[in-house]
Amino acid sequence: MNCPIKSHENADLLLAYCARKLDSETAGLLERHMELCPDCRAFRDGQRAVWNALDQWEAMPVSGDFDRRLYRRIEQEQKASWVDRLFQPFRPLFLRPALPLAAACVVMLAGLLLEYPGRVTVDSNVTSDAPRAQSAVVDVQPVEVEKTLDDLEMLHEFNAPARAPGKTAKSM
Amino acid sequence: MGASAALDCDAELMLRVKEGDGASFALLLGKHRSAVVHFLYRMVQNQAVSEELAQEVFLRVYRSRESYEPTAKFTTWLFRIATHLALNSLRDGKNERNLEYLDDDSGEASNREAPDRGPSVEQRLVKEARLQEIRQAVGSLPEKQRAAVLMHKYEEMEYSQIAKVLRCSESAVKSLLFRAYETLRARLAHMA
Repeated sequence: MNCPIKSHENADLLLAYCARKLDSETAGLLERHMELCPDCRAFRDGQRAVWNALDQWEAMPVSGDFDRRLYRRIEQEQKASWVDRLFQPFRPLFLRPALPLAAACVVMLAGLLLEYPGRVTVDSNVTSDAPRAQSAVVDVQPVEVEKTLDDLEMLHEFNAPARAPGKTAKSM
Repeated sequence: MGASAALDCDAELMLRVKEGDGASFALLLGKHRSAVVHFLYRMVQNQAVSEELAQEVFLRVYRSRESYEPTAKFTTWLFRIATHLALNSLRDGKNERNLEYLDDDSGEASNREAPDRGPSVEQRLVKEARLQEIRQAVGSLPEKQRAAVLMHKYEEMEYSQIAKVLRCSESAVKSLLFRAYETLRARLAHMA
């Protein structure tokens, strides 16, 4: 038999042996191996110590009114309105401390957006002049934009001959 | 429904609960109440919290009765709910629980009144110290390792069932258990 510790393949055999879950044939093989293998013997002794220690940890008895409390909760739930039952799966979410605060922030933000549509922008350089500048941006008319673009185009045409006079003369 | 599920007596009881048989729910509760409470107690190490969580487990079982399908063993489903709730509870209030856990120990010790012919004060103190050490060793394990050890040791579940409860592979369960017992051996081997 390959050493369960050294081969790493059958390491669970040792756990199963200590839990007395191995069949007698495999247990016999393992016992014969352990007579020769100090590592496996040490593992077995340590695991037995853990097993015995865990055996000492007895759980507390269940409260006498456990069933009564459970049935009362079931009864209350059956009496609950359909609205309560609808929100039942989401109830644990509201028990988390940060969520009500986050929900309040979302509601306030939604309120602001509804109150001032199109005016609420996120800007890190907010100063006292910001509202005036914002309203100026909002007041720009399409005609003014077109005029500015025309001016830019005209300037570009003036600049072109100045940059390449030879080429312009040829073409003329 | 698979053949193995058909043989599961608990699944049959749950199917009766689905049909509206309250007595079958009482039978299931009576059969698994202690195991669920004890598992949760060892997970969260607080009696009041473990009972509260166990109530939630059975409440969820009752709530799900109408949609219940016996696709797996009933106990796999039951312990999956219990483990899920225990892990959430540990993640939500870890520090709080640890403080309560220390309080619990003192409470547990004081509840055990010494009978006239019982063990001496010294023996009881030694026993308490050992139990405290065991609880701390188990409590120090990562949550999944702890759940795996408790199901393996106290519920005597097979690797395959633990794997289904923890939603991982059998080899992952073996690895979890191996590492967990390795830690416990290092901490508890002197108790031999």
